[in-house]
Amino acid sequence: MKKRSAFVMIIPGLVILAVCLFLPLLRVLIPSLHTGEYPLSAYVSFFQDEYYRKIFVRTVKVACLTTGFCMVLGVPTAYFISRCGKKWRGILLSVSIFPMMTNSVIRSFAWINILGSNGLINRILVTAGIVEKPLKLLYTDFAIIIGSVYLFLPLMIVTVAGVMENIGDDMMEAALSLGANRIRAFMKVIFPMSLPGIIVGGILVFTGTLTAYTTPQLLGGNKNMVLSTFIYQRAMSVGDWDGAAVISLIMIVVTLAVIKGFNSLAARLDKRGGDHA
Amino acid sequence: MAYMTLKDIDVRYDKKKQVLKGLNLEVKEGELVSLLGPSGCGKTTTLRVVAGFIEPESGVFSLDGEDLTKIPVHKRNFGIVFQSYALFPHLNVYDNVAFGLKMRKLDKQQIDQKVKNILEVCGLSEFEKRFPQQMSGGQRQRVALARALVIEPKLLLLDEPLSNLDAKLRINMRMEIKRIQKKLGITTLFVTHDQEECFSISDKVAVMNQGVIEQFDTPENIYQRPETEFVARFIGFENFLTLNREGNVYKTQAGTVFTVESDRNGDSLAGTIRPEDIRIAGESEDRNVLTGTVGVRTFLGKSYQYEVLTAEGKFLVSRPAEEVYEEGSTIRLYLPESKLILVNK
Repeated sequence: MKKRSAFVMIIPGLVILAVCLFLPLLRVLIPSLHTGEYPLSAYVSFFQDEYYRKIFVRTVKVACLTTGFCMVLGVPTAYFISRCGKKWRGILLSVSIFPMMTNSVIRSFAWINILGSNGLINRILVTAGIVEKPLKLLYTDFAIIIGSVYLFLPLMIVTVAGVMENIGDDMMEAALSLGANRIRAFMKVIFPMSLPGIIVGGILVFTGTLTAYTTPQLLGGNKNMVLSTFIYQRAMSVGDWDGAAVISLIMIVVTLAVIKGFNSLAARLDKRGGDHA
Repeated sequence: MAYMTLKDIDVRYDKKKQVLKGLNLEVKEGELVSLLGPSGCGKTTTLRVVAGFIEPESGVFSLDGEDLTKIPVHKRNFGIVFQSYALFPHLNVYDNVAFGLKMRKLDKQQIDQKVKNILEVCGLSEFEKRFPQQMSGGQRQRVALARALVIEPKLLLLDEPLSNLDAKLRINMRMEIKRIQKKLGITTLFVTHDQEECFSISDKVAVMNQGVIEQFDTPENIYQRPETEFVARFIGFENFLTLNREGNVYKTQAGTVFTVESDRNGDSLAGTIRPEDIRIAGESEDRNVLTGTVGVRTFLGKSYQYEVLTAEGKFLVSRPAEEVYEEGSTIRLYLPESKLILVNK
């Protein structure tokens, strides 16, 4: 009885998802499986094309590196925030999600001003005489990664800090008392204990970066396309809807594969089994 | 010769509240010493100073003649058992216990031998592969103890380790701790607020109050000869009267003359006595006598306990069940000089 009434609760959401997401998605994706001479030929030819392959690799590379940087920057920050008093924790968390309160177009324009050939960094470097000509920072993979890290770091911090808040100070103290210095204690105790949060944060950042449109469009430019900007180009500029559908399915598969990968990694590292609190 | 010494330790929180005030403590090698006191008395703070989690504002902590005041926690080589046990939830029993040895970079074989050995001593051999959350409170407690002991610490620190266990298990575990401690001959500092637990396990007890040690002695001496009113109250004395010295005798504020056997000296002391040591005064006795009105009477099986209101305040008196005094009646209490204990106020 209880289960059935719970099921009733999800019906509205399910209907909306089915009508507005699953059905249109299937309508776009299923034909893409059959275009060309043989089944999946559209996908085979996608990966045979060197230019397409390059975009695919760049997209995955940008998403992986962004996730990596967000972990390296976000996990220690989250630990610091989680060790602060209640008042400071609230303040610091609000500050760290502050960038999310501005529109992503505006945030990307800010980076254009910083990274551009006449931007802040290049002006400093040229004035200081470190380089003769401005460096090419904007419209590179590097620019996309910086913009994406800036965009998604708050997600990582908030997720991980939430998990770390529940780790008592006694864990660190116990590790210290057993002869671990602070860094080893963090790596051997705090880090593995926060893995569930880090994995969730990683999935959010990875899928976010993979599907982001504005940031790679504005900071990567037309020469450094990623899958999301490429879809737009295929569909809107070229009118190749089948091609766009092919890329869409590839992105969905990559996303699902990465989520699966993260989860099995978590299961491998966290041997506690299902009965932990 | 003292093995562990705390000398003039001052600790302040937030530059304001002084938690430890010039605390001094000397512990001999192999002794189990308890820090006993109500919450907020500074006993846990003292333990954390020894552990290295708190650096004292001033004072010296030394062990075996070596000044360790500024040495960080991870270089002190002390075993700590936390109130919460603080077992690592992502590691099984074996890996929890092996953690300290791995940090010391011992080779695998040595680690295996030491871990197996200590698990055996603590009666945990069959639980090697269990995770902490699959174990009972008592088992977790033993894992925490094994993890602290396997590193062969120079000092074992126990922070209210039994407070999360039920009463029966607590008694078993404290015998167990005492057994293992004696077997390994390890100097131990034990923090507790439970008087019975502390007396049953300790070689010596430091009773703490407001950041200082009020009395440091064997459990027997503390029980029989408390030195201060605070210690006496803390270990269960409830009857107190103020005694002011006048020549060879003491007088209460109301002027009743008291003689005492105690060798304690002072112009103004507090006298205290257990309820069962108070007698009913005979007609002829006029010293050490208090007159009072019987208040609430409580039946305790073998005896009655009376609240008697005297000029010196409320006294608890225990009398055999055969003697019954009605509420409201007046009785004269005799406080035998051999049973009256004098303490500093």
